[in-house]
Amino acid sequence: MASIARSLRPVASRFVPRSSRSAPSWRLSSFQARCFSASSAVQAKKYTKDHEWIELSEDKKTGYIGISEYAAHALGDVVYVELPTTPMEVAAGDSIGAVESVKSASDINSPISCKIIAVNDSLEEKPGMINKGPEDESSGGGWFAKVEVTEAGIKDLEGLMDGAEYKAFTEEE
Amino acid sequence: MAPSRGLLPLLRTPIPIFNPKLRRYSHFAAAATDSSQKARVFISKSQDPYLNLSIEHYLLQKSPADSTILFLYANSPCVVIGRNQNPWIEVNLGVLRNEELGVKLVRRRSGGGTVFHDEGNVNYSVICPTPAFNRDKHAEMVVKALKYLGTEKARVNERHDIVVDKEDKDAILKPYKVSGSAYKITRLRSLHHGTCLLSSPNLESLSKYLRAPGKPFIKARGVDSVSSPVTNVGISNSKFMKAVAFEFESMYPEADRSQRFTVFEKEKEIPEIAKGVEELMSDDWIYCQTPQFTFSTENVALSVIGQRTKSSWPSMWSGVSFLQ
Repeated sequence: MASIARSLRPVASRFVPRSSRSAPSWRLSSFQARCFSASSAVQAKKYTKDHEWIELSEDKKTGYIGISEYAAHALGDVVYVELPTTPMEVAAGDSIGAVESVKSASDINSPISCKIIAVNDSLEEKPGMINKGPEDESSGGGWFAKVEVTEAGIKDLEGLMDGAEYKAFTEEE
Repeated sequence: MAPSRGLLPLLRTPIPIFNPKLRRYSHFAAAATDSSQKARVFISKSQDPYLNLSIEHYLLQKSPADSTILFLYANSPCVVIGRNQNPWIEVNLGVLRNEELGVKLVRRRSGGGTVFHDEGNVNYSVICPTPAFNRDKHAEMVVKALKYLGTEKARVNERHDIVVDKEDKDAILKPYKVSGSAYKITRLRSLHHGTCLLSSPNLESLSKYLRAPGKPFIKARGVDSVSSPVTNVGISNSKFMKAVAFEFESMYPEADRSQRFTVFEKEKEIPEIAKGVEELMSDDWIYCQTPQFTFSTENVALSVIGQRTKSSWPSMWSGVSFLQ
């Protein structure tokens, strides 16, 4: 997902991402207090500057990827989602698919180096799910792909933003 | 309608023949990646739609991340469908194949709907840094150029198309589309390209290409076209190109008019461009990129899943199942 958000919709900069809803509030307050709790860092979402997120499992071996609420709102109504074929090994920043909205084909890029092992097939039939729940990794949600994390991927995570940092970043845009 | 006189009149800057800095085809790659140029205009002399789209894609991928590029080109007759469209719904393929005009079928990499190109239609393409992307900014730039050339009632509508308000046969003021837009957004660079109907001789007949007989029988995922009544602006290609280039250079003062660069058929020899042309011309891309669809008549329904393959023989119907 490219950093198009601000330029696409003037009101987007006033939009507050609802990423905070997906994590219990005590976790976020521990981020703001700069608490070094490793297990909570693993389970909360991490974001790229291009508005993609990754959420790892407890064992850090697998994770889910999607686009942020902010991006989904800025894109407008998604009319088609191009999903990757599996399995696919990618590096951080590689294009893994695209969404179409308002005549625009927008690339979706992988936040980390990983191997894509599954995709959210229901997005093919119901692309609008990405607008309804872009950060929802449950079976009815708008998550994009499920991945296996590589060693390089763990390192890539360090360069990403946590929920609070991402929220501040989108408010700046 | 007078045929286009080509792009040569556009080049006012004389090019000395024996100057070692002569801008020959092999210098296009250097020009495209030149980081000293923050804004530049490129103009194509080719009318090959696959080549022009590949050159455009090359500019999208190779131009410096902070630069803004304008690329102008006209194609020989072709129907151009959007990245996620279904040619069996959008195009009368039978008419296309049998037409004397030799109308090509092209699938572009950007989104949006189906349009018809010919030599009386000029395409403009603006490539810019993704953070600066805006769907209307450069359409408004083209409207400025059109107004300068005398088309006062041109404006950008809510679909980001350029329309001209004209009286129809009942003397009612209606918007007629002269330009449609489509976009491609990548991580660092974004592209906005649009058509502009200037003097197409095919306005009356283009609907025969765009009315597909299979449409009532097909239910498809993917993107539908939105059809609009169209009209010609009524100016020459060269006047339009000059006016748009001028507006671009006013909007981006870093653009040096003397650095406008012409691209030729020979650009096809650049390996990335050759690969791009090959991909755009392949059945794999044109047909198998089609999202899943169902074709049904009274007695049978076929679910068609085109699977793009890396082999030279595309498996077009690799996922066909009969549903009763």
